[in-house]
Amino acid sequence: MAKIIKERVETPERPVEERTKSFIEVNLGYTFEIAQKEAERCLQCPANYAPCIKGCPVHIDIPAFISKIKEGDIKEALRIIWKDNTLPAITGRVCPQEDQCEKVCVVGKVGTAVNIGKLERFVADYAREKGIDKELLEEELKKIESKNKKVAIVGSGPAGLTAAGELAKMGYKVTVFEALHEVGGVLIYGIPEFRLPKDILKSELDKLDKLGVEIKKDHIVGKTVTLEELSGEYDAVFIGTGAGTPRFLNIPGILLGSIYSANEFLTRVNLMKAYKFPEYDTPVNVGKKTIVIGAGNTAMDAARSALRLGSEVTVAYRRGFEDMTARIEEIHHAKEEGVRFEFFLNPVEFIGNENHKVKAVKFEKMKALDERDSRGKRKIVGTGEYVTLEADTVIIAIGLEPNKIISESSGFKVNPDGTLVVDEHLRTTMKGVLAGGDAIRGEATVILAMGDGKKAAAAIDEFLSSGEPWPDEIKQVSF
Amino acid sequence: MYTITDKKVLSPIDYFVEVEASHVARAWKPGQFVVLMAHEKGERIPMSVYRADDGKIGMFIRKLGKTSLQIFNEFNVGDSLWSVAGPLGTPIEVKKYGTVVFASDAVCGHAENYATLRQMKEAGNHTISIQSFKDEEDVYPEQFLAKSVADEHYITTSDGSVGIKGNYLDVIRDLIEQDKVDIIFAGGVLGTLAKLAELTRPYGIPTMTTVRQIMVDGTGMCGSCRILYDGQIKFACRDGPMFDAHKVDWEDVLKRETRFLEQEKLAKEMYLKKINESHGKEVV
Ligand SMILES: Cc1cc2nc3c(=O)[nH]c(=O)nc-3n(C[C@H](O)[C@H](O)[C@H](O)COP(=O)(O)OP(=O)(O)OC[C@H]3O[C@@H](n4cnc5c(N)ncnc54)[C@H](O)[C@@H]3O)c2cc1C
Ligand SMILES: Cc1cc2nc3c(=O)[nH]c(=O)nc-3n(C[C@H](O)[C@H](O)[C@H](O)COP(=O)(O)OP(=O)(O)OC[C@H]3O[C@@H](n4cnc5c(N)ncnc54)[C@H](O)[C@@H]3O)c2cc1C
Ligand code: SF4
Ligand code: FES
Repeated sequence: MAKIIKERVETPERPVEERTKSFIEVNLGYTFEIAQKEAERCLQCPANYAPCIKGCPVHIDIPAFISKIKEGDIKEALRIIWKDNTLPAITGRVCPQEDQCEKVCVVGKVGTAVNIGKLERFVADYAREKGIDKELLEEELKKIESKNKKVAIVGSGPAGLTAAGELAKMGYKVTVFEALHEVGGVLIYGIPEFRLPKDILKSELDKLDKLGVEIKKDHIVGKTVTLEELSGEYDAVFIGTGAGTPRFLNIPGILLGSIYSANEFLTRVNLMKAYKFPEYDTPVNVGKKTIVIGAGNTAMDAARSALRLGSEVTVAYRRGFEDMTARIEEIHHAKEEGVRFEFFLNPVEFIGNENHKVKAVKFEKMKALDERDSRGKRKIVGTGEYVTLEADTVIIAIGLEPNKIISESSGFKVNPDGTLVVDEHLRTTMKGVLAGGDAIRGEATVILAMGDGKKAAAAIDEFLSSGEPWPDEIKQVSF
Repeated sequence: MYTITDKKVLSPIDYFVEVEASHVARAWKPGQFVVLMAHEKGERIPMSVYRADDGKIGMFIRKLGKTSLQIFNEFNVGDSLWSVAGPLGTPIEVKKYGTVVFASDAVCGHAENYATLRQMKEAGNHTISIQSFKDEEDVYPEQFLAKSVADEHYITTSDGSVGIKGNYLDVIRDLIEQDKVDIIFAGGVLGTLAKLAELTRPYGIPTMTTVRQIMVDGTGMCGSCRILYDGQIKFACRDGPMFDAHKVDWEDVLKRETRFLEQEKLAKEMYLKKINESHGKEVV
């Protein structure tokens, strides 16, 4: 057996000084040569054993595609990935691999896990640059036998886009309804350019276009058209409306003018390109000292965007470092770029100035207990001690919940947290209507949303070809 | 394509625009609004709807800053807007209340005045419209007033040059004294709406007002439009924009209008400079 190479071949990154002043992508990805070197580190565990395949939420045949990189056959590598994941350029960049495939990689037991994420990204990027993805798509296009049935997709995030692509490949006539003026969901309005260049998304949309998917922007389902109307007009409907509504803290000062939800801040900056104001019309106002409240990917994206707009940034989190939910790479990049972190601080009041802007945030110091909560996090309690930190801008990134528009406008059964009730086939309580992604999971991940889109497409195909009746009762599946 | 099909001057500060937007027109109800973008690099701005017929929506727009000036100066009949999304917000309840008043003292309010009373009248109400303007010059042409849908129509001007001298609060005070009012709707300048809330509060007269806040998406996704309502955080775009005026925390509502004042000023100045250079003449 070959000797294990313990150290990863690292991917090149843009120098810190360069990236804190611009929104261009930080990680540069592997070149062909270094990708092959990294691929060599994979031990090619047999498919029935390979822990990485089990660790991947959509079970990509990881050793198989890595072996094709070794052989230099990128087209085959892409074909293998596409079987389970049609958006590898995106997931290769945004998946929390350290909690999934790379967490369980055998090589990781003696050294650093194989850099599966960056290899996945390499395959997708290389294929796109060389037009290999288009060749593969052409091959698939030839195989499509069109079916005389129509499916409506609500929401154009990763869940909706995946379902649309899969159904189109099965021959269905697909129409996507999107509330905003751009397609992509969080991928376009939330995740910044420096992590996920928008050109990548554009290229995915080109593929959907080739597949004949029709996209209707500016359509808010529940307002512009009702779900009942869609159900009547289409043979099946998939809902991928995400978890788009930001939570706020109902504490004094929450309405001050320079307090943003991360969603507002990121939407202004990414979707509306406020970082190019006044070339673009939408304003954003970032002062000299920004405090970001939260510790997930959203918080990191907000912090690093504010930094790029010229502010000093502190992330304040009510728990400890080890409880942070952001991808490790993002935390690492944020630190490198100069974002400061304060732990065990829980905001209790926003203090304003005479212009209705924040001037400081008052926090209670928290401490962790040994006891764990239902999600396995250490419980925290207040200490009765307070600190006040100066800030002229605050960004709140404490979580999102599903937008009520869709559930309130139709007779769906919803869970207490606002997610739609679905069974193991992602069927909702409305006949012919399925749902997936953050709309059923709450804030989750791109890959899970994508996986749901794929699963729902298969379930829709089954429903429409078998003529099986819709169950009278839908029992909530547990995730 | 959201093609502009009509455009008219209403007053020195306001204008009327009609665009093709059949997806909105078919579903729109009074109380709801749209969010539009003039062009690809534009801002998403909310607009009330004056009427929605035959696949088209009409809007009244005030020349305030960059976007509203740009549409006035550069977008003519035959041109298209980049995006029109809607209808957004929660419709008001159209039913028989008895006597329904709609009072307005600015552009969005005048649009809603007509839109609301048109349907309230159809629902069998006695409709009273009050429309307040600064002076004679600012009064809209008759066809754009709410006269045709109001059983009683009052115009007020600050200088008394047309109609009653004063503003709609004065008329409402009278109507209340005559004990004529079952419900009041109002839209326009936020400061007047806050005063209206105080005026009607002691009488317990149901008072519904449009709470205009700075918006981005208009769908409940960003919280830019958040207000305190009955002690709870509500989103003006999704839970409103019409709210029970007696439960709104007006102080914060008024202050949140100024969030981007500096940037708005800069954008407007730059735009006016550009226009003046290219046309060699003053606009506004
Ligand atoms: C800032 C940020 C950073 C993140 N970073 C990561 C990361 O690094 N890695 C990761 O795996 N995950 C990350 N996530 C989470 C991930 O983005 C989501 O889990 C994922 O996007 C969910 O996909 P979705 O398709 O279910 O919904 P979304 O991406 O939320 O898309 C939903 C779409 O539906 C539209 N919509 C909503 N309601 C309606 C309606 N009524 N009618 C029509 N359209 C409607 C919305 O406008 C939106 O376009 C991040 C999330 C945020 C906010
Ligand atoms: C529900 C609702 C309905 C409205 N209806 C109308 C209408 O029928 N006619 C009309 O002329 N105006 C209406 N407005 C206000 C309109 O959106 C603003 O006048 C417009 O955004 C100004 O843009 P600007 O670039 O011309 O001016 P700016 O210089 O950008 O802004 C001028 C002022 O307009 C307000 N404003 C700016 N941006 C926004 C925004 N994104 N959302 C909301 N307000 C903003 C602020 O108070 C600001 O100080 C409505 C607003 C809301 C919330
Ligand atoms: S677990 Fe690691 S070594 Fe084994 S196949 Fe997967 S990537 Fe290769
Ligand atoms: S405008 Fe974004 S939530 Fe209301």
